Amino acid sequence: MPGWQALNEEIAKFGATVVTVALDIDPALAKPWNDLANPNHPSLVDTLHITNSLFGFTNIPMAAWIDEDGNLVRPAEGASIERSPLRDMEIPEGLPEQLNKMMHAVKAIPDDGEAYREAILDWVQKGSTSAFALTPDEVIARSQPRSDNEARATACFELGEYFHRTGENETAVKWWKEAHRLHPQNLTYKRQAWTLVTTPAGATEYDLMQGPNEVYDSNLVDEVTGEGGFGQFIIRPRL
Amino acid sequence: MILTELRTTAEAFAHATDWYPKPEGLCRGEVCVPAPGALSSDGMIDVAVAAQKLGMPIVQDIEHGVWALGSATLSGKSLSTAVAADPELKTFDGTPFKLSSLRGKKVVLVAWSSY
Repeated sequence: MPGWQALNEEIAKFGATVVTVALDIDPALAKPWNDLANPNHPSLVDTLHITNSLFGFTNIPMAAWIDEDGNLVRPAEGASIERSPLRDMEIPEGLPEQLNKMMHAVKAIPDDGEAYREAILDWVQKGSTSAFALTPDEVIARSQPRSDNEARATACFELGEYFHRTGENETAVKWWKEAHRLHPQNLTYKRQAWTLVTTPAGATEYDLMQGPNEVYDSNLVDEVTGEGGFGQFIIRPRL
Repeated sequence: MILTELRTTAEAFAHATDWYPKPEGLCRGEVCVPAPGALSSDGMIDVAVAAQKLGMPIVQDIEHGVWALGSATLSGKSLSTAVAADPELKTFDGTPFKLSSLRGKKVVLVAWSSY
């Protein structure tokens, strides 16, 4: 969030703004982070993950660019704008196995931050003449595939959210598992569900390891390492 | 979109899906899909008909009598138009917010989460 806030200040003079949207079923868990950043741009929360369905977000961070007339000029894609300090961190010896795997997986995340940030700056200054602004046909063509299974997953995830909200947690888990099966590349569907199991009630922070636990068959570390790394879930921007 | 029957108001349908009934059919941006039978004279949407026209799967939880409407698959892509969707989101203090309120500005819409 602080990086995006700084970028927002930088692009405001070009008539542009950052809008952040937290994909969080429980806004109370995102709110402390939001308050800490005290953003000066519109900061929203999407408790239904409806932006997954409408924009194609399947992971975080991702971004889409919208021009002055409300038209997308880039579809949802991976959106880092700075190099994570974790990438340069020395991994200590003797870490627990899962944490060690996680640290190695994080260090291996593809780093497009600098190029993506430069692309945003180019677009906010040049508009439609920017080489990074796509035509409507290109935007649609570059948006992610959506099969019947993937569309069905959006419905299953929403059923899970509905039953979670109405206190039918076993039913919620059943539908979230189905969403995970139907759209395995959607990491927000998985991470959202896992954290609701592994984060104790009343906790002010999510369990970032997100399992393993007795409810779901998989967990963040095993899922990511099993698929070959976080990169397998990232829609890298084609710049 | 969660439903307890396969009928809903046109307003609720548009609110949840960003597809709006117009004389041409069900529309998002410049894309309009003829949908005879989807809209009745009392302003209600027959969700089964609309879903079939837009390629939206309907998933039912039989035990609880609840349906959910999946996203459109018209183009085989997550987007069927480059016109940005305009869902009603909320700020952290609960104030409704629509991206259309930012018309005239370029917007970088960034998804993040606490997890």
